[in-house]
Amino acid sequence: MGRHPNIEVLTYTEVDSVEGEAGDFKVTLIKKPRYIIESKCTGCTTCVEYCPVKYPDQYNQEISDNKAVHVYFAQAIPLITYIDESCLYLKEKKCRICEAVCKNNAIDFNQKLEKVEVNVGAIILSSGLEPFDPKVKEEYRYGQFVNVVTSMDYERLLCATGPYQGEILRASDMKHPHKVAWLQCVGSRRVTPGENSYCSAVCCTYTQKQVILTKEHDAEAECTVFHNDIRSYGKDFERFYERAENLPGVRFFRSYVSIVKENPETQSVTIRYSTPDEGVKEEEFDMVVLSVGLNPPADVQGLANKFGIELNAHGFCKAIPSNPMETTRPGIFVSGAFQGPTDIPESVFTASAAGSQCGELLDYRRGELSKERIYPPERDVSQEEPRIGVFVCHCGANIGRIVGVPSTVEYALTLPNVVYAQEQLFSCATNSAQQISDLTKEKGLNRVVIAACSPRTLEPLFRDTLREAGINQYYLDMANIREHCSWVHAKEKEEATQKAKDIIRMSVARVCRLKPLQEFDLPVNKTALVVGGGIAGMTCALSIAKQGHEVYLVEKDADLGGTARRIHSTLDGMDVQAYLRDLVRKIYQHPLIHVYTDATIPEATGYVGNFVTKVKSDRGVTEIKHGAAVIAIGADEYKPTEYLYGKDDRVMTNLELEEQIAQGEERVMNAQSLVMIQCVGCRNEDRNYCARICCSNSVKNALKLKEINPRMDITILFRDMRTYGFSEDYYREASNKDVKFIRYEPQDKPQVEAVEEEGRRILRVTVTDYILGKKLAIDADLLSLAAAVIPSAGNKEMSLLFKVSLGPDDWFKEAHVKLRPVEFGTDGVYLCGIAHYPKHIPEAINQAYGAAGRVLTLLSHDTVTASGSVCEVDEDKCISCGACITVCTYGAIEFYDTPQGRKATVNPVLCKGDGLCNSVCPTAAISLKHFADEELLSQIDAAVGDF
Amino acid sequence: METVAPYKEIIDAIKASGGDAFKRCFQCGLCDVVCPWNRVRAFSMRKLIREATFGLTDIESEEMWRCTTCGRCPQQCPRDVQQIESGVSLRRIATEYGVFPASVKPIRTISGSLVGEGNPLNEERKKRADWADGLSVKAFTEGMEILYFPCCYLCYDPRLKKVARATANILNMAGVDFGILGAKENCCGESIRKTGDEDVFKRLAKENIKTFIDHGVKKILVSSPHCYHTFKNEYPEFMVNFEVVHISQYLFQLIHEGRLELNNEYGKKVTWHDPCYLGRHNGIYDEPREVLKRVPGLALIEMPESRVDSLCCGGGGGRIWMETPKGERFSDLRLEQAVGVGAEVLVTSCPYCITNFEDSRLNRENSEAIEIKDITEIIGEVI
Amino acid sequence: MEKELEKIEDQVRKSLADNLRKGFADRNFGDVLVVGGGISGIQAALDLGAAGFKVYLVEKAPSIGGHMAQLDKTFPTNDCSM
Ligand SMILES: Cc1cc2nc3c(=O)[nH]c(=O)nc-3n(C[C@H](O)[C@H](O)[C@H](O)COP(=O)(O)OP(=O)(O)OC[C@H]3O[C@@H](n4cnc5c(N)ncnc54)[C@H](O)[C@@H]3O)c2cc1C
Ligand code: SF4
Ligand code: SF4
Ligand code: SF4
Ligand code: SF4
Repeated sequence: MGRHPNIEVLTYTEVDSVEGEAGDFKVTLIKKPRYIIESKCTGCTTCVEYCPVKYPDQYNQEISDNKAVHVYFAQAIPLITYIDESCLYLKEKKCRICEAVCKNNAIDFNQKLEKVEVNVGAIILSSGLEPFDPKVKEEYRYGQFVNVVTSMDYERLLCATGPYQGEILRASDMKHPHKVAWLQCVGSRRVTPGENSYCSAVCCTYTQKQVILTKEHDAEAECTVFHNDIRSYGKDFERFYERAENLPGVRFFRSYVSIVKENPETQSVTIRYSTPDEGVKEEEFDMVVLSVGLNPPADVQGLANKFGIELNAHGFCKAIPSNPMETTRPGIFVSGAFQGPTDIPESVFTASAAGSQCGELLDYRRGELSKERIYPPERDVSQEEPRIGVFVCHCGANIGRIVGVPSTVEYALTLPNVVYAQEQLFSCATNSAQQISDLTKEKGLNRVVIAACSPRTLEPLFRDTLREAGINQYYLDMANIREHCSWVHAKEKEEATQKAKDIIRMSVARVCRLKPLQEFDLPVNKTALVVGGGIAGMTCALSIAKQGHEVYLVEKDADLGGTARRIHSTLDGMDVQAYLRDLVRKIYQHPLIHVYTDATIPEATGYVGNFVTKVKSDRGVTEIKHGAAVIAIGADEYKPTEYLYGKDDRVMTNLELEEQIAQGEERVMNAQSLVMIQCVGCRNEDRNYCARICCSNSVKNALKLKEINPRMDITILFRDMRTYGFSEDYYREASNKDVKFIRYEPQDKPQVEAVEEEGRRILRVTVTDYILGKKLAIDADLLSLAAAVIPSAGNKEMSLLFKVSLGPDDWFKEAHVKLRPVEFGTDGVYLCGIAHYPKHIPEAINQAYGAAGRVLTLLSHDTVTASGSVCEVDEDKCISCGACITVCTYGAIEFYDTPQGRKATVNPVLCKGDGLCNSVCPTAAISLKHFADEELLSQIDAAVGDF
Repeated sequence: METVAPYKEIIDAIKASGGDAFKRCFQCGLCDVVCPWNRVRAFSMRKLIREATFGLTDIESEEMWRCTTCGRCPQQCPRDVQQIESGVSLRRIATEYGVFPASVKPIRTISGSLVGEGNPLNEERKKRADWADGLSVKAFTEGMEILYFPCCYLCYDPRLKKVARATANILNMAGVDFGILGAKENCCGESIRKTGDEDVFKRLAKENIKTFIDHGVKKILVSSPHCYHTFKNEYPEFMVNFEVVHISQYLFQLIHEGRLELNNEYGKKVTWHDPCYLGRHNGIYDEPREVLKRVPGLALIEMPESRVDSLCCGGGGGRIWMETPKGERFSDLRLEQAVGVGAEVLVTSCPYCITNFEDSRLNRENSEAIEIKDITEIIGEVI
Repeated sequence: MEKELEKIEDQVRKSLADNLRKGFADRNFGDVLVVGGGISGIQAALDLGAAGFKVYLVEKAPSIGGHMAQLDKTFPTNDCSM
């Protein structure tokens, strides 16, 4: 990020005013003085040591102290210091110690506020959120009882860079809390003054995370979560919830609570909670965590005024459901939590989505101001003796707390060919990476070992660091002393240090044998293929086309529209059919979009930038060459087998009910009593996920029916009402309109029977109400089932065609839930809509634009770089058995004819370097570069050699 | 487990008598958690609400009569279920059908007394001003600055008469131009309304309003937070708006304006109990404390549950008229809290609180350990 | 001769102007301004940067990272926030 040539990062800077219009904004920025010359500061923190001022550190939620001159946090970007208002010189004109001790003359007290004017074509507001401040309500006792903390405080306590270096301690006595309680919905789902009526959508799941981490810190800890509904509505959330719930000593309890008192001796906190059968109970906890919700960003009104945009009733950005990235001012877009409470994956893809919309607006000037990254020429070191540098990372305290880092550095220096070694607080921080390249040049290093975390996330960064130093990037090895060592051996510090040394020794041995590998550039075909013509597919296709790329849109049905054809409105009032008609019209009218309906895909080959896909339709078989593919094939509705569905025509699914409402079906309009049952076909053993949309959909249908016939009795039987985010308001509205909600437990499901009473045919639904302690028998004319959304039957086939993977429930699996949520591990293939996971239409639109944004990062380039770590075949050894071809999931190997007969050959672009083929080849003819036998054997030798 | 069916007619009846907000409950249990009843015995507001939601209310049960209308749960309820108003709707139905469980039976006599004599104590109307005998307290006439409305308990109850007298003394001392209406006034009607007797309330209120208007009353000084509440927040339902001031506020004003000087020492440790209807219902927390802080020598200590968290004495919502068995009285707990923080005097400013606390004090093993005082009684001693 | 000189002068002026414009463009002209350097702002900036646009990323705190940087690990995978 810090080194990207096209991004200028202006920290400690605020927007003062915005003039102009879309395409031509003039923005005045105010750069606050850091009193540090950014180019001179090396982040050495000598000044911090000497600064005499101590005051509560904001980054650590004011639990620990910091200095007036300090680095914002250990991995800050930029990693340089700044001086804040607590500085003695700024306040009283005395001190200036820092100036004297800084060897780089980086301190400059003459800096003033600086106004900078910039001209841009578009603006994205990603101004995020502010955690709810529990001080607004005395009852939360925050700031009053020391051991009542917010979840944000708790994050800092858990964190290695936190106030106690990752130890969870009570501020009152510096002891580990043993019994911890989490109180849910603090500041959320409450109409009480000062709190928010909406659900903050993330706190249920982050609480589960905190519970899991607490148990990792202390396996004996007792964790209790007090809540009213657990809202595990996101992808993989239900499993996550289960994981937390099944840990020993973890309780999830349904009751909001009140914080009663503080034990005067121990400062422990007593809370009171309610049980349905045993009355109100009191319990003491060592620590109470308030799961605070999300507020709009601070001074949101000021922000809105500056940018000339409107806010919604809750103070978040006002957005229209059919384009949640759009604000009320053209040219200004919104992404992330400023749209409304959202989690990280969604914040990431809405960012890509807003990016795509900027791209649509500014496509005419793309590439004019941007630059390519330039690296120094690569030094040929293949003839040199290995000169290895070892960098051992503390990872804050993640590693450093367990592993004796200094002794491993010493040890590394004793290893053959190691000419340099040092420790780093965070090797991944910008300045540390810079230090690695600088030292590589300075010390003439030609191999680098980084002893830190798993290569999964950070290997690209460090490879880049080597390139910066003019060294072939494959001369790097990462010794994983975190996941493989400090995290799993937290209790055995000495052994962990020994193991870290072993791991480093193995790395050093391996890095000596590594070969320089070349990556190569492939041309990019600038066309995209979108599979699936639902709302997501169409929206994505249109956004790509609007940015000047040709798009082939393939739909298996006769018409475009997908599931949305059966949906008439959304909870927030979007007219789905009108939107759909408009979208379909735009698709057909766009000159760059080619639509194939009634189409199937018999074959797809190729690789990133160069796919070839065959599409079979009434126009015959068309061969499409494209650079990117988007999978948006939607999902299916579960056909229930329970609750008399299919046996009694008065039982239907939510979607069927919606259609009947739209058609004005008489039996629906005239029904006296209607019951809905939630969670049909999911949140069970077979499908261990929550279908996310059905709670809100039932509320939507109920409200619609109440509008038509206010006298209709509507009862919704649910497990947890998962009306997350702003939908909570509609849940409350439904209650207000007399819709009745009854909770049931999965082990005691509602019973449905068809009976006849006094000549009236009814469906009798019996359900236990835990508060009443009785069973309620409700007579219904109609029963609607919230049938789960299930993965499309076509997923398997599609996953094979495009070599992309499916997750445990058969949803398409993204490359990384948080970092790459709309693309696959397979390069050049993207994903959006409910093929990824059930979601509401506005969310699907978000994601569709997000996928378009990511597609553009590929298609806007002429070339794409392919990895050098791929397999190669030693033709002399190949006996053309074909075992490798069978086992390769990416279809990267094929035979070709040579004078010596058929030999396997690897297409380096398709090869993902997973090495499956290596293990099946009977003659060891095929090997994976960078993981060649001798490289690995040297590593193994080093592992056992010493003993 | 018993199987029951929702009872639509009853749901409608509850709605019609003002229980519409029941439907909003999402069973978070917070009302049960904060309710003082659960400190002394099991009581579930949440269950009461749930039953009402499905028309399953047992009209003969005692449960609906428990709520003291202390105001804890409505203030916390995330769904604005308005437990007090909603709860009263159930009592209205019971009152309408005349079904009262044993402990609630006294209400019948009380409403008779209210209708007949204008007070719940079965005292003669004509004796209403007797408390002022020997004090120079004038009858209210048009043009006077303030009408002092002392509350039935202060007019008749021997213990509370002292409070009325202390008040009159202070007012005289400060040279306040005030008068009383004596036999012409009625009970304010606040508590009978909470027992569900809307008719009697309306009758009392209308008569009072008529008397006030006939006498040209503009500003009313009250000793009881219950009078304060109903005059200020409920009489406006009849399209009248009197200026209402509680004695604790007025004392603060008099001291602030220099009309009252606190000269004598009161060298005791004192704790202030926030009456529900003064604190939670009307947000008056600071004035009485400020007044006490100005008393020379007085040490003001806080009980752990103070201000918004104040523990109810148990007397609101008509409970003052119902029998609460020993061991279930909130005032016993409260008294222990006061003793627990080392207070020598528990001071408050509500006739129900004082009645209940005095009761608890007398039932206490060591009843000398603590005194119960109205704020005016302390001020009376130091001027 | 004079013509030559003029030509050279012209060229110099042109390249000077070019350079000036470039310098100016570098400093004050961009395509998109991203306000807020949390995870969403960073992602938007990275995408746009990769898609051929020049981006300003403005953050009011002394570092980018936003609230995510304060989180220890993030659900549902519980990997590192940074
Ligand atoms: C039961 C149910 C009820 C819903 N109710 C609501 C609601 O009330 N409100 C709301 O906001 N959202 C609702 N949704 C969610 C809503 O449908 C989605 O958010 C939105 O429609 C997603 O769009 P999509 O493009 O991802 O999927 P879809 O609309 O399903 O579109 C996918 C398209 O791809 C096509 N396709 C599939 N396989 C192939 C293939 N192999 N080749 C070519 N084409 C293919 C499909 O035919 C379809 O046209 C509901 C979803 C379901 C299943
Ligand atoms: S229900 Fe909503 S507001 Fe409450 S804790 Fe869960 S996510 Fe947060
Ligand atoms: S009904 Fe649907 S959204 Fe609600 S909890 Fe069940 S599966 Fe989740
Ligand atoms: S506090 Fe309100 S929402 Fe919660 S159980 Fe009580 S009445 Fe229901
Ligand atoms: S108002 Fe007070 S007494 Fe009545 S139910 Fe609520 S908390 Fe209990």
